[in-house]
Amino acid sequence: MNLKIADFFVGAFSGALVAGVVSYISPPFMPMLLGGLIGMLLVIPLKIAFMPLFGAFEVMIPLGIIGMTVGMGAGMLSFTDVASNIIIASGSLTGLIVATIIHFSNKRYTAQ
Amino acid sequence: MNKQSYDGTARYFDYFAGGDMRRWSPSQRTLFKNLKGKVLYIGIGTGQEIVNFPVGLNITAADLSFEMLKRSNQRVENYSGNINRCQMDAEVTGFADNTFDTIVTVCVLCTVKQPMNCLQELKRVLKPDGQLVMFEHVLSKNPVYAVILKMMSLITEYLQGTYLDRNTVANVERAGFKIHSHKNIYLDIVKALVAKPITGA
Repeated sequence: MNLKIADFFVGAFSGALVAGVVSYISPPFMPMLLGGLIGMLLVIPLKIAFMPLFGAFEVMIPLGIIGMTVGMGAGMLSFTDVASNIIIASGSLTGLIVATIIHFSNKRYTAQ
Repeated sequence: MNKQSYDGTARYFDYFAGGDMRRWSPSQRTLFKNLKGKVLYIGIGTGQEIVNFPVGLNITAADLSFEMLKRSNQRVENYSGNINRCQMDAEVTGFADNTFDTIVTVCVLCTVKQPMNCLQELKRVLKPDGQLVMFEHVLSKNPVYAVILKMMSLITEYLQGTYLDRNTVANVERAGFKIHSHKNIYLDIVKALVAKPITGA
């Protein structure tokens, strides 16, 4: 797989996975805070699994952002009546957006 | 990290660095065009970067870990040039002053215990008109990326003995080198650098 495309796949997949797990656990109190914490912990094994395939920093940076932001969002949404598949889809979309932002950030840095 | 720990890391080093090599090989090949004369390749590890070296070089390669050196056998044999390996600490090498025309490091200054000691040692063995060619990762100046790197550094220090929060560019300058070429390879984290010693510094 082209590694540039893989970055977007990793972002979308990780976002969906974090959102799915947080939505399944559905933190009973302080949902945003606990969701963010669960997300941050969850991406650690994901990083270790993806690094040998897609490169250490190219995985570490997006997943570091996705874990907390998607976890917080999913925690908050799971406290409402939103269906879990919608939460997973929004997690995946957030992951994709983070990957896109980092892609353009990288373009800017490497052009310097 | 001590010698025994590096020996332990050698078993899964190639596996974990596989993704990085796929990403970084084209940039490394461009950087390594700068290698010339008598070359010191410090921290050869399992020799993953050898395939990116120009052919026909005369290289002395050093690493702290015997296991790493052992695992570099095949790559050294396949290289179309001359590579002599030795087991040595990058902070205290056994080479005479002003021995090498070029010194190359790949993710070494993130791993050695005292990067300043290492850089000063490299400056000692490098000829005054020589050059230090580095492919290193450093702490980002972007606060979001920096926080992530600092958090991950706690894990990588334990797993691989790698520090993700070092300011290598500043360290190189503090050690008495002038940066001649500075290129970001990934964000402002992975960098290709060429530095020359400041005479008299």
